[in-house]
Amino acid sequence: MIELLFTPILLMFGLSFIKNRKVDKALAFVSFLILIPTISFLEIPKPFNLFGEYLIVDDLGAYILFVSSIVGVGVALSLLTLKKHVMISQKAYRRFYRFFAIFWVGLILSILSNNMGIYWIGLELATLSTVYMIRTNHSKMAHKEAWNYMIVGTIAISLILFGIILIYASAKPILGEEAMQFNLLLAHAKDIKSPFLFEIGFAIVTIGMFVKMGFFPMNLWLANIERASYYPVSALFSGILESAVIIGFFRFSKIMMEINYDHLFIFVLIYTVLTIFIVSFLIFRTKDFMRLFSLSGVEHMALITLFWVSGGVFPALLHFGAHAFLKPALFLSTGVLESKGKYKIRGTLKGYQGKRGKLFWILVSLFLLAVISLPPSPMFFSEIYGFGAMIEFAKKGDYLVVMLAFIFLLLILLSIIFYKFIEVYQSMKYEGKEEKKEVYPSEILALFIFAIALVALLTPPVINYLKNIM
Amino acid sequence: MILYLTTILLLLLIAPILLSFIKSLKMIWLFKRPSSIFQGYRNFSKLLTKETIISQESSSITRYAPFLVLSPLLITMFFLPPIVEGAYYVSFVDAFTITGLISLSTFFLMLLGLDSASAFGGMGSSREAFISALVEPAMVLTIFSVSMMAGNLGVGQAGVNLAEHFPKEHMASFIFAGISFFILLLAENGRIPIDNPETHLELTMVHEAMILDITGVYLAIIETASSVKFVIFSSLFVSLFMPWGLELYAPMAILVFIVKLFIVATVVALLEVNMAKLRLFKVPNLLGIAIVFAFLSLITFYVLGA
Amino acid sequence: MVDFYIGLFLASLIVALFTTRLFRLLMWYSFNSLMLGLLALIIGIEFNDDGLIITGVLTIIVKSLAIPYFLKKFSQQFHIVREIQPEIKVQYAIMLIPAILVFTFYLAEPITNMILNNSNHIAISISSLFLSLLLMMEHKNVAPKVIGFLSMENSLFLLGVTATEGMPMIVELGIFFDLLMAIVVINLLFTREEIKND
Repeated sequence: MIELLFTPILLMFGLSFIKNRKVDKALAFVSFLILIPTISFLEIPKPFNLFGEYLIVDDLGAYILFVSSIVGVGVALSLLTLKKHVMISQKAYRRFYRFFAIFWVGLILSILSNNMGIYWIGLELATLSTVYMIRTNHSKMAHKEAWNYMIVGTIAISLILFGIILIYASAKPILGEEAMQFNLLLAHAKDIKSPFLFEIGFAIVTIGMFVKMGFFPMNLWLANIERASYYPVSALFSGILESAVIIGFFRFSKIMMEINYDHLFIFVLIYTVLTIFIVSFLIFRTKDFMRLFSLSGVEHMALITLFWVSGGVFPALLHFGAHAFLKPALFLSTGVLESKGKYKIRGTLKGYQGKRGKLFWILVSLFLLAVISLPPSPMFFSEIYGFGAMIEFAKKGDYLVVMLAFIFLLLILLSIIFYKFIEVYQSMKYEGKEEKKEVYPSEILALFIFAIALVALLTPPVINYLKNIM
Repeated sequence: MILYLTTILLLLLIAPILLSFIKSLKMIWLFKRPSSIFQGYRNFSKLLTKETIISQESSSITRYAPFLVLSPLLITMFFLPPIVEGAYYVSFVDAFTITGLISLSTFFLMLLGLDSASAFGGMGSSREAFISALVEPAMVLTIFSVSMMAGNLGVGQAGVNLAEHFPKEHMASFIFAGISFFILLLAENGRIPIDNPETHLELTMVHEAMILDITGVYLAIIETASSVKFVIFSSLFVSLFMPWGLELYAPMAILVFIVKLFIVATVVALLEVNMAKLRLFKVPNLLGIAIVFAFLSLITFYVLGA
Repeated sequence: MVDFYIGLFLASLIVALFTTRLFRLLMWYSFNSLMLGLLALIIGIEFNDDGLIITGVLTIIVKSLAIPYFLKKFSQQFHIVREIQPEIKVQYAIMLIPAILVFTFYLAEPITNMILNNSNHIAISISSLFLSLLLMMEHKNVAPKVIGFLSMENSLFLLGVTATEGMPMIVELGIFFDLLMAIVVINLLFTREEIKND
């Protein structure tokens, strides 16, 4: 099984050394092959020990890996036409794929790992490989932002390692060397002799992850980076890299729930509400697509963490899936919307001719409306269920009114974002001049895959699968 | 008592040799023909026979100051920790007294520089004041922290305690204090990163600028004072930071002590050959490091007990 | 003896904060990692822990010899500015560094109460984490920032060694691998002109 998982990646890495123009298509095809093991993971009985006690496939990991691999396929499709929209040399293109392979290795390690240390290693590998991907854009800004990402990203990652060491130190007296394993930690969480040490470690890990996802004090750094890099890279960032971060949060917070649920909930609640508060006003003032989408991504990540810690596993995962499909789709479509480096919003949805063009603009407008959770979109259901989970959580304690006030505040903030997106959509559709634009089949295909995946999220088998995850 | 007096006499005798030793070592490393290590004595005897001229503008301070520069240092010699086990020593003198005595000597040196009313003297004095103002807090902190580690505020007693029981458990703060004290040793004696004792270039000189107008016997006294200061600092360094070999048989212990003094001198010479003199306004950076380390040593000791 | 190495570790980090030349900074980083490697070796020999001995040797080879050598080579190859003036003035740094130390020592006190052996080393490693963050903050140039990141890695390693007597072997090796990867990426980030020409 593990061979099946890593063969496409090794193939991709090897093919990227061949200096032939035809290799582009082969590379894209190879990245499709990742779907085979990830789909089979959904079927096999779980937990499945993939590599000893180090890599274990469970329901959560299989779901997130599957989502990520679909996003990976979409990104690979859009990479086929990257050269038609932006300037990129063949050497840099091949190197991009080389780092994409390393990125996949890191991602698989961090998503499937049952070991805190291996989780961290995978995350660091994924982070470092994206640094070069940002650099494929040769603008001065991209160069600066690549360094920025290198520095800030590694600080965030180091914070995570710091917390992991503290957690390990807290659990080592009872578990020995095996204190690194998530499942054993979860099973023995109540026996940990120094819960304070664990809590400090957890807080530091969480802050590292929140910095990495662009939460409260670091809201704009991801937006700047995604602005500076090419659109497939932004899609990778929002679709896959954040999934590697959030699964770590899921796993750590599960253990923390055993130790001190109240601390966890209050910490995350304050952090996320603050984040959404700031992000909603930042969104209100943005003037280009990339920043708009990446800030809205931050908002969605905040909602996912909030739903998860309120006990709503299903809404959190549904929201996660919807976010992971919608954001890359939107980022990839910005490649067409902003083609040849024009950042303007007005009239970008006009001027698409032929069947392809029509399909494209319909899909993009559907995505745009889905991302602000207009009813048929999965985000709508996940938010309803999520707020429901928050109220359920509050019913257990004495703070129902406070919780209702928080939810009300969140709804107000979400409506600000809603308003801005509607305004952007109207200005895209009804203002500005008409210009002729080109859409390529592979992009339509990528968007189509995302659309199908989104619809599939609401089918009964997926919902059942998600509801069974705990 | 005899050992005590012998030690002091020996240190006094060694003082000029140490400075000449550094000088000749540096010359060897720079591929020059080295001067004799007894050059200090030769200079001293030559200066004694020379005529003493005092500037017309200067007041009576010039006549008293050289003695007042030397005497606090000589008094400090009596308060140093013992170099042989069982020897007599003064136990109650603490960091503040020693620092105070040394700065008293510096104070009269600065007065001497100002008194001759030449431009150089004033400049040298102001620079010396600038440096020693930064040295003093670090010095008090360092000696204080070492005394705390030894368990006694008296410097002499601290030296004995350290020799009896080396603070292995406080190694971290001990190292910080050592680094800090070594920087102070360089700074107070005007060695190279701070001041170059061999040059008479107006831009750089500090110590030499103050004594530019002094001649004859007075110059001999001042030179002696500076070599005594070096020996005080290096023997403090040796007995506080390399406190071993005291329990040996008395002549052997004294020999070990002298060897350690020469080791310190060698390290100083090595640094002088390898480093350039710092710009005057960079000097606070170096002394700042000394202060940080002194403080660090104190808080590591107090908070962590390391 | 452990205290001795930890003391020199912190001392070299503090001196690195005042350094104004790149090569001198690299030298202090190398010294810093050397102390770390020796520390790991000594603890490993003391507890008879093979994993710690291997990581100690790896630390000495990779962090104190290879990485400074490569960074020096990069800086010569890509003509990086070697005069690095800290943005924080020395007189403020003199006040800031003891303040950070005191702060972290008291911050770490509840943690140190919980870990029985080598409790104070944890405080030192946390403070060295903060000091390496300060090293990253006080420089505008990229090269010293990279060294700040590397010394942050060092202080985390120190925390791992002292708080938990070394992490599992596979994790340590993975961290080393990531470090080498970081060096490769740094190299690629520096080579800006070369790609443009092709």
